[in-house]
Amino acid sequence: MNSSGRNEANPSSELEENLEVLRQTYFFSGLPLETLKVFAYLCTREKFKKDEYIFKQHEDDGRAFYIISGKARLEREDNQSAKEIRDCLTGEFIGGLTLLGEVRRLFSLRAVEETVCLILERERFTKAIEQFPNIMPRIFKAVAKNIDSWEERFLADRADLCGECMVNLGVSLI
Amino acid sequence: MKKADTPVVKRSLFSWVFAGNLKLQLLLLVIIGAMVFARVVPLEMQKRIVNEAINLRSIDLLLRYCGIYLATVVFFSALKYLINIIQTIISQRATANMRKELYHHILTLPLGFFRNTQPGSVVNSLVGELTMPGNFVGMAVSAPVTNVLTLLAFAVYLFWLNPLLAAVSLSIYPIVVFLVPVLQKGVNRANKKRVDAARKLSSRIAESITGIHEVHGNGAYRIENNKYDRLVNRLEKIRVVWSLYRFAVKTSNSFFVSLGPFIVFILGGYLTIKGQLELGALVAFLSAQEKLYDPWKELIEFYQVYQDGAVTYRRTMEFFDAEPDHVIEPRDRGPYELEASVDVKDLSFVTDSGIHLLDGINLSLKPGEHLALVGFSGSGKSTLALCIGQLYKYTGGHVLIGDKEVGNLTKKDMIHNMGFVAQSPFIFEGSIEDNLLYACRARADGNGHGGDGLPSLDDIIAVLHQTGIFVDVLRFGLNTILVHDKHKDLVNTIIRVRENFQQDFGEDLSDYVEFFDENQYLFHSSVAENLIFGTPNENNFTEAQLCNNPYFADFLKQADLTRPLLSLGAELARQTVDILGNLPPDAVFFEQSPIGPEELDAFKVVVERLKRQKLHELSAEIREKLLQLAMRFVPGVHKMVALPAILENLILEGRALFREKITNDNPEAITFYDVSKYIYSQTILNNIFFGKTKIANPQAQEKINQSIIQLLIEEDLLETIIEIGMHYQVGTKGDKLSGGQQQKLAIARIFLKHPRILIMDEATSALDNTSQARIQNLLETRWKKKSTVISVVHRLDTIKNYDRVAVMKAGKIIEIGTYNELMARKGMLYELVGKK
Repeated sequence: MNSSGRNEANPSSELEENLEVLRQTYFFSGLPLETLKVFAYLCTREKFKKDEYIFKQHEDDGRAFYIISGKARLEREDNQSAKEIRDCLTGEFIGGLTLLGEVRRLFSLRAVEETVCLILERERFTKAIEQFPNIMPRIFKAVAKNIDSWEERFLADRADLCGECMVNLGVSLI
Repeated sequence: MKKADTPVVKRSLFSWVFAGNLKLQLLLLVIIGAMVFARVVPLEMQKRIVNEAINLRSIDLLLRYCGIYLATVVFFSALKYLINIIQTIISQRATANMRKELYHHILTLPLGFFRNTQPGSVVNSLVGELTMPGNFVGMAVSAPVTNVLTLLAFAVYLFWLNPLLAAVSLSIYPIVVFLVPVLQKGVNRANKKRVDAARKLSSRIAESITGIHEVHGNGAYRIENNKYDRLVNRLEKIRVVWSLYRFAVKTSNSFFVSLGPFIVFILGGYLTIKGQLELGALVAFLSAQEKLYDPWKELIEFYQVYQDGAVTYRRTMEFFDAEPDHVIEPRDRGPYELEASVDVKDLSFVTDSGIHLLDGINLSLKPGEHLALVGFSGSGKSTLALCIGQLYKYTGGHVLIGDKEVGNLTKKDMIHNMGFVAQSPFIFEGSIEDNLLYACRARADGNGHGGDGLPSLDDIIAVLHQTGIFVDVLRFGLNTILVHDKHKDLVNTIIRVRENFQQDFGEDLSDYVEFFDENQYLFHSSVAENLIFGTPNENNFTEAQLCNNPYFADFLKQADLTRPLLSLGAELARQTVDILGNLPPDAVFFEQSPIGPEELDAFKVVVERLKRQKLHELSAEIREKLLQLAMRFVPGVHKMVALPAILENLILEGRALFREKITNDNPEAITFYDVSKYIYSQTILNNIFFGKTKIANPQAQEKINQSIIQLLIEEDLLETIIEIGMHYQVGTKGDKLSGGQQQKLAIARIFLKHPRILIMDEATSALDNTSQARIQNLLETRWKKKSTVISVVHRLDTIKNYDRVAVMKAGKIIEIGTYNELMARKGMLYELVGKK
């Protein structure tokens, strides 16, 4: 963790580390390096203590997260009962869609241990995109492809378990 | 705004010549008259000196005539200078007036105009293109009058000397008058071709550079070269023709004019030899003939200025030749006080291209009723709101406010009765206060300064609370650096409460605050702050001056810091220029940068130099720049470079060394951080903490806010800090504010105006849930039955308590009623809510 700015004997800057992270996420990986550097520069890091919420259901926090370290739990509250969906682990990228438009969270994400996230805010993302408008198609492509392959995987692995929900399949058709 | 009967875009270029300049132009005429006289006198003196003084060998006469000659030359020069002054005043005044009136006109043009107009072309027209017409206006009277009069005077004088000779030598000029415009037409034609060809060439270059990877990939250099070369060749030919025409104008003019002396010599010489002309008269004739050239040249130049000015003027004015949709101010009455009922009857709005954005809309609202407009994007709800608010001019049907047709009301009537919060509100450069009072000032007196009807501080604070921007303004206040000797009470209180505050909240906040500790490196403070660890009392120890200060330079050397800091500065410069080099000066990009947008160009040069030179080879000036940059480095903020542990230790040791050294040499220079003293180089918040906040997440921010607000309330300082916060400068287009803050500010400025009719176009879309709910709640409790509200709503969970909900689809209202009625009907709203 590096939010103090402290570096040990072999210092690589936070910017370089952020850049490495972005190059590994589907959302950014197809972008030219020059642009990626600007996004890496605009990212911030935050530390969440155990049980602190990274985002909450119903809120439009407008931020995308990459878990650098720690673990967070995805939860959903329905009719006053909270359900745990799954754990998000180090290396997971969450919330790319929030960068593209106003989306209220359908889930909450709560840190279950001390968690450090790399964060990009929609406002900053949008300002940067204004400077590089020609990269937007690449991002759209990446998102579309990701949604499609998500459902493809789901259909291959889990479709049999769906039962009544079967009629609601087809998120890739939106 | 000046009331002109003819709109500025319809005025002719000549109308600017006398408007507002009549006295100056008349004065010019008088001076010109005197000047023309002063121009002819020396010629007569020449003649008399030759014919009388020299012929009669009279020294007296020689001195007298030479005296008169000299006096008139001095007089002439003085008048010429005076004319230049007056010309400049007139042309600058005309340019300024054109700029002002055109700008005033442009601001009133309908919103539709600006959808097809780039801001850049407005800037270019106002700043660049009006200069030439302005120059013409300055010369419009003086140049032709002076030169024509001078020509006439010389001509009359020549005729007086010898009519025959004069007639023959002046016969050249009609030829020139005929020839020059013909050639000038050629110049204009070629010039137009040149501009087109240059434009084509530019787009060719742009295309090949954008597709350079394809050129390289295919090795298609020759293909691209051929395309480019063809255009260059064409441009070359056009430029040759253009230049030939221009030189033809110049050459033919000077050729014909030079024929003058030839005729005088041949005919005048003959006459003199024959004794029909005195030698003095021949000399005078030759002089006068030569002097014809200057006014003639000036006339030709004036003709060219007129051509250029007229073309630019016409093009500019034609571009903006559109009419405002509505009258701006009523002529002979005050603004109406309208009853806040809204009646929309069979309203339609059709675009120029024939698309029906609204069709057959009917609705009616009593004063104080609240209407929510819902529907998918593109259903026409914003368009309807904009038509009711007079921001769009509807093309059919009626909108009545009170009993007045909106289309016939003036803008002033509307702003007097209505408040409008736009979907993406615009915040202007200036302070929070300027933006808060924007709508009230516009309504009060329109000039943006003072005036009656402005809200009191209490009103403002109440609205800040209501809209939820209070905490933001408080934070701006807390982040202010106080000036010495101002706010003494505040300073004393902070010092008094600081220790208790640390005891009460210190532990809670330790994750979010880096407290000033002499033995720790401060990662959220600059290198300079880390070294000095105090507030400078002398100018040469401030961060800006530090690197100029030889004492400090000595210290850096002694502490072995010079070279590592130079290297840090170089790395910072390289990385920052690499990332931000091509980005615009927006606060978002520069808040984490050690280099400000205004310094970026200078540092680009430095980085270029660093590619070629080693650190020790750099000039003193560049080394100083790099040191200065290193001094600003805050590891917790400037993430493009890491602080090596070894440098961190060196700086910590340097801090101790500096303290020891300065305490011995100049103990008054620095006030070291001390919990019992106010630190004037730090913000109010940092003073309360006796430390600096680290970059915090919203939860941390919330925790800090809670503890600080509690303290400020206890100490009765809240209002003081808010007042300070209201002076926060929001940056160009409000870029130092977040989207949410901008939206809250936009709502606050309309709430402050307390309009009878409030139109909100998705006005809370950028707000978090709490702020959104707060504003909704406020509308329901404070505004119900008092002001009519029309709200374009994007979130259906906020519409339950509206008096009416209108659901729109494809430009029509398909259902309207209360929320419960529509839900019971299980129609479109039911479906929309279900979908959400």
